[in-house]
Amino acid sequence: MSGLDTARIATSPDERRTRRPRIGSDAWTVIGLFAVTIVMILASRLISPSFGSWDQARAILVLTSFVMVIAFGQQSVILLGGLDLSVGSMMTLGGILTFSWIGGSGSALIWGIPAVLLVTGLVGAVNGLGVTFFRVPPFIMTLAMGIIIYSVALGITGGTPSGQAVPALGWLFSHRLFGIPWVILLMALFAVLGTIFQQATPFGRRLYAIGTSPEAAAIAGMPVRRIVILTYAISGAAAGLAGILMVGYSGGATLTMGDSYLLPSIAAVVIGGTSIVGGRGLYAGAIAGAFLLTTLSTVISSIGIAQGWRTIIYGLVILVALVLLREELSLWFLRLRSRGGR
Amino acid sequence: MMRSWKSLRGAMIALGCALGLTAALAAPAHAQKKYKIFLSLSYSGNAWQSEAANIVKALAATPPYDKMVDLREVISGTDVQAQISAYQSMIDAGAQGIISFPVSPTGLNRIIKRGCAKGVLFFMYDATVTEPCAYNVSYITAGFGENTAQALVNELGGKGKIFLSRGVPGNSVDKRHTDGAMSIFKKYPGIKIVAEYYGMWSDQTTQSETAKALAAHPDVDGIWAQAGEDGAIKALLATGQKKLIPVTGENSNGFRLALANPDYQARGLKGVSSGSPPATAGYAFKLMMEKLTGKRDLKVHNIQYPLPWVPASAVKLCTSDKFENGCNTFPEGKVPDSFVTEVFQPTLLPELSLVTAQEGKPTPGATIQPLPAEVVAAPDTPGINCSHCNPPANLYPLTKVQPTVQP
Repeated sequence: MSGLDTARIATSPDERRTRRPRIGSDAWTVIGLFAVTIVMILASRLISPSFGSWDQARAILVLTSFVMVIAFGQQSVILLGGLDLSVGSMMTLGGILTFSWIGGSGSALIWGIPAVLLVTGLVGAVNGLGVTFFRVPPFIMTLAMGIIIYSVALGITGGTPSGQAVPALGWLFSHRLFGIPWVILLMALFAVLGTIFQQATPFGRRLYAIGTSPEAAAIAGMPVRRIVILTYAISGAAAGLAGILMVGYSGGATLTMGDSYLLPSIAAVVIGGTSIVGGRGLYAGAIAGAFLLTTLSTVISSIGIAQGWRTIIYGLVILVALVLLREELSLWFLRLRSRGGR
Repeated sequence: MMRSWKSLRGAMIALGCALGLTAALAAPAHAQKKYKIFLSLSYSGNAWQSEAANIVKALAATPPYDKMVDLREVISGTDVQAQISAYQSMIDAGAQGIISFPVSPTGLNRIIKRGCAKGVLFFMYDATVTEPCAYNVSYITAGFGENTAQALVNELGGKGKIFLSRGVPGNSVDKRHTDGAMSIFKKYPGIKIVAEYYGMWSDQTTQSETAKALAAHPDVDGIWAQAGEDGAIKALLATGQKKLIPVTGENSNGFRLALANPDYQARGLKGVSSGSPPATAGYAFKLMMEKLTGKRDLKVHNIQYPLPWVPASAVKLCTSDKFENGCNTFPEGKVPDSFVTEVFQPTLLPELSLVTAQEGKPTPGATIQPLPAEVVAAPDTPGINCSHCNPPANLYPLTKVQPTVQP
């Protein structure tokens, strides 16, 4: 519990007083995002009658899982006031290693998955080392690392990753329990564990303290550098896990498999109410953000309009969600609640 | 992972365009009598690109070219500006020939013209440029879009809801394919395009985009796809529905195996595999070498590569690494699903085997065989292979399939 205590010491008395309503507004952001997502799913029935169905929800849940996993690492880094631009390449690395190391053998999963997570975690730790000991700005450090990982992967594979997709990973997506694909159950567990990790462990609470004020955290005796390095390692491993999942989903690995997940990982975190300067936010918010983004792109892709307009709508909805949900709407919810309380 | 030092060198080259360029250009000049040829890749990172490049590398190492050619590879990324400076450096380094996958049909014209003026031969494979002094060797004008669209319409009996799984937005190849396909679909009022999305010619992107479209339209009757079609198949299978639908697409091994799978056929999967063959790069390279060595006087600048056309009934497994008995697909597990199968062309490229496409090594015992004297001229297509030119009256004639249903 010492972590909790130091976190409390690190915050000023003024902030301590405002802590309760502040977490409250974060929580309302999460609820608001989920509400918008559900409304969007229901409203999309107007576009296609098969929308709003369990099939659609299932497809969205499965597609969200990749962003959700990466966003966990990304959010932890952003909570510290950092940014991880290497997650796309890291996801690719995880996928390629899974493809070539584990191959088609189910028994190799036992050592293969930890090995892939270890490698991506170690590469992530190098990001952390650069940021802490060499004082490279996070976005330069992780951007460079992303390019290096991509290039090494290109060189080693010669452009085409060779290997096989292990059937057991595909099984996560194709097999169901009570109609729910296993990967969704796994993601639910991941969400719970991620939230516990951030909210109820000393490590998680220290993320908030360091993100609020690294100097204060250092004065309070926290091992700031170690935590930063570990957090980047977690981000690397989370992206690696997304790569493993992607191999299961698509049954293959390419050098660009992670590229399209970098920006959504940041967008999901920011939409979810996490402050880009660190110190504030909930993992549940990032999950809600990931849902909103996936639902939005699913709905938009089924509207018969040109690609340019689709991208514009996508951007506009994100912008509106950000503006509305982060301030006014959460305040409005709070006011509503306090009025109800009286 | 047990690759040789070569892959490490590959890693070094890939570390950056500038670094790669310097390394390639600064190589020792011991091979002065050899033809100095550069392979300019836009981008490596998918199976197609590396197979095409490997085929060129393998042919350059096949006797007698191994003693005649000094081939250097430069990867400059998807940025036009980077490829322009790559070309410039190659011209400055005394290139005699540049064989390349161009990233833009028009953006490279000026530098190509400058190179031509210095006597450099430019051979473009697969993608094309509109600069008339360059040679384009491509299947693009051979009618992938219209032929696959007609095949899909035939399978659907002229009516039904379909998806268009396109390539990269704004790309001239995607536009040519889609225009060709739309020339057919427009004739059939019963064909309704219920979703149109960009799969970026990637299996993964196509899979997730198809999954999204399927969520909205589970009652779709067919999918017209460009490269990435294996992802469309995987998305269909992932819905858990027993019923499958006709899909047309390009040449991934996974797609061909699916087409030939009796279980999937029974569930309703039909279709045809066509589209971009990596072997085009090999044909372009051999043409360039024959031109360079004076064996060929190439008047035609836009040369058409034959369009692959493999319906389910024509899928034939290769039992070895070489071309035999018209085989066109590899057994499951031999190559990844994303592997592009069109790496053989017995008439034009008898030197090729699986090892040439996978590792860039020459087929043991193979020697370079002369090409047939005739080349097929591609039709003028504005924006694809010429800029101020008149296209033929019917730009989208059907060559592989005839309509079996009338609009």
